[in-house]
Amino acid sequence: MASSPLALAAAEFERMIQRNLKGLDYFASPAPVLGASPKDVLIAQGPWRLYHYHPRVDEVYRAPVILVMATTNRGYIFDMVPGQSLVEFLLDRGYDVYMVDWEAPRREDSNLTMRNYVEDFVGGSVARVREESDEPDVSILGYCMGGVLSVLWAGLAPRPELKNLAVFTTPIDFKAMKQFQAWSDQRYFDVDRLVDTLGQAPADMLFSAFDMLRPGARVAANVRLFDNLWNDEFVKGHRMFDRWSSDVLPLAGEYFRETTKQLVWDNALMKGTMTVGGRAVDLANITCPFLHATAEHDHIVTTEASAPLIEMVGSADKEQVVLKGGHVSLVAGPNAVKRLWPKLDDWLGEKSV
Amino acid sequence: MSSPPPSDPFALFRNWVSEWEKLVNQHGAELLAKPEVAQAMQQVSSAKLQVQAASDAQMAKLLGAANLPSKADIEALGTRLAGIEATLARIEVQLRGSAGAQPRKPKPARTRKPGD
Repeated sequence: MASSPLALAAAEFERMIQRNLKGLDYFASPAPVLGASPKDVLIAQGPWRLYHYHPRVDEVYRAPVILVMATTNRGYIFDMVPGQSLVEFLLDRGYDVYMVDWEAPRREDSNLTMRNYVEDFVGGSVARVREESDEPDVSILGYCMGGVLSVLWAGLAPRPELKNLAVFTTPIDFKAMKQFQAWSDQRYFDVDRLVDTLGQAPADMLFSAFDMLRPGARVAANVRLFDNLWNDEFVKGHRMFDRWSSDVLPLAGEYFRETTKQLVWDNALMKGTMTVGGRAVDLANITCPFLHATAEHDHIVTTEASAPLIEMVGSADKEQVVLKGGHVSLVAGPNAVKRLWPKLDDWLGEKSV
Repeated sequence: MSSPPPSDPFALFRNWVSEWEKLVNQHGAELLAKPEVAQAMQQVSSAKLQVQAASDAQMAKLLGAANLPSKADIEALGTRLAGIEATLARIEVQLRGSAGAQPRKPKPARTRKPGD
């Protein structure tokens, strides 16, 4: 590669021209279509959605797979675009794929509690998938707070209908999430007033909280975007992830109140005092094969916050893997394509017959 | 990957952006996590909530005086609609169950084995 000052300047000049030409395209062209894998909507009730993706092969593994998305974001992180879609990857590898996804809760959904999310939405999805697939058991893959909901559901009672449970970047020790702890400090943060006034945790508040974890990231990302406007692949990736990370959902008020009080303030899941709808959660009830994948550079759910989970589940067959990447790049994008997805397929395939 | 020549100002700029980002992320996050900053942020949020609650109450009175539906009325309608939606969903499920004549889409065989 030429590296003389003249050649570098010429290359940079060429990029500058391309930036100007493509910069206009960037603002004029529509946003990329995400989450477009063909699917049936099995359930659309309040904020709860259950999708069934159309199979892409003639022969699938016996046990269906349910992806459970985090409640603050939309599930199309699992189905970005062809070639960068975990859903498409799983379908091609022969899994029967379902997804629990979320819409923004409306004001009338403000009374939805943790019990609704865990028992009605996760548990209800399992029941519906068993009915739809005519199979007695299912595998669950939960991401972040979707992992927490999955673990809570699995820990409420022995679940013979749960064949495998894999969770990604799932927090268990909320005291280890230092910044969230500081911002929701019980002395200053009046969650009751927030919920009683607004009926929900607003999306812009949650978006700001995620953004403040890395205060320089957005500015730097925009500088890099301008620098790489000449590069179509970079721009495409930026648009996909920028759109997804900005697409934050509000949370139903009661659910947010319980999350704040039980998980963040009391650290009840870590202490073993967590209850859902008055029933105790015991992670020893989780006895199916269990996988926890975490990211080495996760700035949202740090290793300290996620690591204790593996010891607390009752499964004899359990594994924790720490993969390169961050909170999002663990599950989506080029990093996920070469690290998490093949690992997941290796782990899940032999357990899905 | 070879490091950029020291004479390449564009590469130097890119490195500088990365370093700046690291620095801001580290120190900014530390600063924002300080109790006094968290307290100030929550005080602002609390004040905003108070203003919002007061303006909601005032607006409800104004709308009532103008004989227009308030936010609470619209929400009540939304709740009733949600109830109707849920009822429809239940009816849909029952219809699907009873409509034995309706052809179901072909399902793939569930016989796949690892390595297939």
